[in-house]
Amino acid sequence: MTSVASEGRAGAPTPEIPPVALGPDESRWRRRLPLLKQLPFIVLLAAFSVLFIYPFLWLVSASLKTRGTVFDNKLIPHPFAHDVFHNYAVIWSAAPFLRWFANSMYITLLAAVLVTFASALTAFAFAYFRFPLRNFLFGCVLATMMLPTVVTMIPVYLIWHHVGLSSSQIPLWAPNLFGSAFYIFLQRQFFMGIPRTYFEAARMDGDNYFTMFWRIAVPIARPALIVTFLFEFKAKWNDLMTPLIYLHGYHQYTIPLGLYDLLGVYSPSAGGSGDYEWLMAAFVLATLPLLIIFAFGQRYFVRGITLQGYKG
Amino acid sequence: MSRRWKAIGAFAIAGVVAAIAVTAAAAHSSSKHSTTFSGTLNIMGFGTNGDDVAKNRFAIAQKAVAPAKVNAPNGGFNEQQFLTDIASKQVPDLVYWDRSYVGTYAAKGALMPLDSCIKSDKIDTSQYRQAALQSVTYNGHIYGIPEFFDVRTLIVDTHVADTSGVTGKMLNTANPTVLKQAALKMYQHSGSQVTRIGFDPKLPEFFPLWAKAFGANILSKDGLHPDLNSPQAIAALTYANSLIQAQGGYNAFLAFRNTWDFFGSDNQVAKNQVGAWPMEEWYYNVLASSSPNVNVTAIPFRSKTGDPINYSTGSAWSIPKGAKNAAAACQWMKTMTNASTWETVANIRKAAYAKAGQYWTGLFTANSKADAAINKPTSGEPKKWASIINTVEAAEKYSFALPASPASAQFNTAWTNAVNRVLQGQQSPTQALNQAQKEAVAAIKQATKK
Amino acid sequence: MATAAVATRRPGPGDRARRWASGFRERDTWWAYAFLVPWAFGFVVFTAGAMVWGAIISFTNYSVVAPSHSVGLANYRQIASDPYALLSLKNSFEMTAIYVPFEMGLALLFASMLARVTRFDGFFRTVYYLPVMTPTVAIGGMYLLMFNGPYGLVDQFLGYLHIPEPYWLTDPNWIKPGIAAMLVWQVGGNTVLYLAAIKNVPQQLYEAASIDGASAWRRFKDVTLPMISPTLFFTFVILTVYGLQVFDQIYTAFYNPSNAKISSDTSLMYVIYLFQQAFDYLHMGFASAMAWLLFGIIMVITAFQILVSKRFVYYEGEQR
Repeated sequence: MTSVASEGRAGAPTPEIPPVALGPDESRWRRRLPLLKQLPFIVLLAAFSVLFIYPFLWLVSASLKTRGTVFDNKLIPHPFAHDVFHNYAVIWSAAPFLRWFANSMYITLLAAVLVTFASALTAFAFAYFRFPLRNFLFGCVLATMMLPTVVTMIPVYLIWHHVGLSSSQIPLWAPNLFGSAFYIFLQRQFFMGIPRTYFEAARMDGDNYFTMFWRIAVPIARPALIVTFLFEFKAKWNDLMTPLIYLHGYHQYTIPLGLYDLLGVYSPSAGGSGDYEWLMAAFVLATLPLLIIFAFGQRYFVRGITLQGYKG
Repeated sequence: MSRRWKAIGAFAIAGVVAAIAVTAAAAHSSSKHSTTFSGTLNIMGFGTNGDDVAKNRFAIAQKAVAPAKVNAPNGGFNEQQFLTDIASKQVPDLVYWDRSYVGTYAAKGALMPLDSCIKSDKIDTSQYRQAALQSVTYNGHIYGIPEFFDVRTLIVDTHVADTSGVTGKMLNTANPTVLKQAALKMYQHSGSQVTRIGFDPKLPEFFPLWAKAFGANILSKDGLHPDLNSPQAIAALTYANSLIQAQGGYNAFLAFRNTWDFFGSDNQVAKNQVGAWPMEEWYYNVLASSSPNVNVTAIPFRSKTGDPINYSTGSAWSIPKGAKNAAAACQWMKTMTNASTWETVANIRKAAYAKAGQYWTGLFTANSKADAAINKPTSGEPKKWASIINTVEAAEKYSFALPASPASAQFNTAWTNAVNRVLQGQQSPTQALNQAQKEAVAAIKQATKK
Repeated sequence: MATAAVATRRPGPGDRARRWASGFRERDTWWAYAFLVPWAFGFVVFTAGAMVWGAIISFTNYSVVAPSHSVGLANYRQIASDPYALLSLKNSFEMTAIYVPFEMGLALLFASMLARVTRFDGFFRTVYYLPVMTPTVAIGGMYLLMFNGPYGLVDQFLGYLHIPEPYWLTDPNWIKPGIAAMLVWQVGGNTVLYLAAIKNVPQQLYEAASIDGASAWRRFKDVTLPMISPTLFFTFVILTVYGLQVFDQIYTAFYNPSNAKISSDTSLMYVIYLFQQAFDYLHMGFASAMAWLLFGIIMVITAFQILVSKRFVYYEGEQR
């Protein structure tokens, strides 16, 4: 269950992906229940899965309804909104949704890419090099992983404030320039699984350390990098607290903050217009990119979670 | 035609053209200001995506500060953005916000007192309603020019009242016992679920209205001494809360209220889901546009002494300290809130309504001169809507507002939380208001310490 | 370095230190540090430095727009006397106490079932994980609308089953369980985690146990649980820390612009109150003190959890 530390594994230059990249050891679980015995579990799981799927169905259904019927909880809208997808069309002009979408997209992509490579640099250093203070510094990384976010929330805001950037989008992605403890830890496992012989060969070919990192380590650790990218994408796309602190003014908003605001704008009790059906459409549109990413990168998410647990 | 007539005609035309040219020149020169405005006017909180009244006033004011450029991004007032601007010393020239902010920021020293602006631009402050000015005056100085004046009257669903045997006289907040009886007559329920609210006291938002009706002054005139736990305030909260508890209890009451299609044609008045409730006057406009045939009327809210009262709130324009274009800001404020601007845009709206067949329900501006001219029933307006305008306009005379205070947000939070705790049955009114009083006093103390 | 002809002498501590220090002379070391520069900068400024500054601020009355003055322990004393701070702490504890066992139990239940299923297991895993991908704002917003007392979807469903329908949004007795339910909707994440852990339990152990005549329950209790206990412990710590700091969903559901006025005291969680104090009222000093108090509390709780774990967590290859 623990990670495979493979420093200095001599000999055998087999170009395999280190086993730790494969995820849980499926070969250990060989027992298969006969289908009949599985049936009760399948039924139970199916029953529970309704709880997880139905809210999505409700959401999509509500997004296709008219204002008067949006909360009638019927699964099939009756009547459908004008032109069925009316709400989806309106939301782009009723609120600066396109702007928010673009903001979310560029901030999230930037943040994910930056943290992937910054963490890779750091993880590689801890995995490959031997140097004084290595264990101490890695201990600092580990400590950061356990740090409650709330402790640094205010001072970090004040830092940005003193630099004059506390009302901009920069604080949302700039900290990712410095890597993130969780991903550093994850990627270090991968880098440690790369046989040193690969690197020695590259060094002898005249590579300096950075080229070696870039040409050898990074391609092999691609699964870990993709996991990092996808996880950070999801986290940044969904983040509400940081935009709440730093973004002021609709032109800066990301989707979560915009949606939060719309809950007030459309609420009758706050003087809004009650057009929650547009909000439902907005929720669906906000979730769609993540669902698409999940559809394509599902195995990476699963892998990423299981690697998380191997810390023990 | 004979040549003589042609000559006279040509002469006449030339004369008319000349007259027009001269008049135009004269008008143009008379509209040239003694001060010329320049640079940019940065406004926060009032964009260009408002309703017709907002857009038209914006255009008028924009002309008044020409040739200065106006930069007014869309989006309401954002307090955090404003705080950031203050701290980084890059304040907008003008903020448009709720009047409740004025006292707090004036106390922080973040606003420019408007005495000099009022003097230099000759703003006639007597045209603004007393209650509105009270909310924007702190420590003897005016820090905001008020705009809009919410008038709170009882909106009554006459169909519900009639079919329940409730008369207008019974819907009298001066007589709490009778009012409660009326509420219970109109209240309907099916099991533990509420199916019609008899009388909704609108808690926690309208607590100041109830407190005043019962004779309590929850905040001193100078905004420095809260008095949230006076016997009258406690009595007000006890009574208003008892109305809700008697009509299904808070949970059922609120859950039912949340189902109303407030802005739609199937709103709670059209569907007879409520008997009466105090509400800001803009809702009459909503009713007139979405369900003009509802059976509705307006009754003033009365205090225990029998006199009508109105708890009023609204917006204001203020100039932050350090604003670079205070001159243009001052002119903007003056133009936005003077009677002629209001009358112009009101007439435009009246004409648009007439064309669309919508009934006129008034526009309440905080400028008493403008109000007197605007808020009259239009000719041919059904009696129902005419009487509503008249009632609301008459109620304005009896308005009060919460004075400007150095910690208004926390003061408001204190009594709001207290009322919520009582509604949810966690504390008695006495306990809740005692706690609120402690919090309010502490907040004001902290705000005035610096 | 030393030549072969040097006199042999037992290596002492001085040698080790010298060897350590000589590491600094290697080029490799400086390359390593070069790679670490981005992380180090971030750590010094945004982590360590921020923490220290936060601690310093907690002893002042800093409010950004006014000059700051030291107030000693006043902020901490104020936390002890502020009814809302204490209330929010109590709320957070209670909510976490409901949430953590609920989430862990449910995740374990689903994971155990999924482990036995070979058909459709990919489908189920996807379905259970979907809520984890949903934006927390959307979850909070949907909660507002689906749990809206008797008119919301959930209560209508309970009504069909003739179960009394709680007022999830306003009844103080039901607000916390409702919030816990909302958070547990994302149980898929931990389910997948536990599933991987369960699948890694060596088959031989189960076979040995069933040869000894152990029932399914005993196999679970005596084989599965101990073997996955490190993962259980890991999630126990992480979920507790998460529960005490949860923000997004609750802030959206109970403190969005439309209902901030009617929010119950029962939904006020610690980090929400902290956020309000810091960013609505600019009481930075007080909020920093709150943050450090929470940090201390979390450290104590985690230390306690680690102590407890020594009795229950079994690491492969370790002596118990």
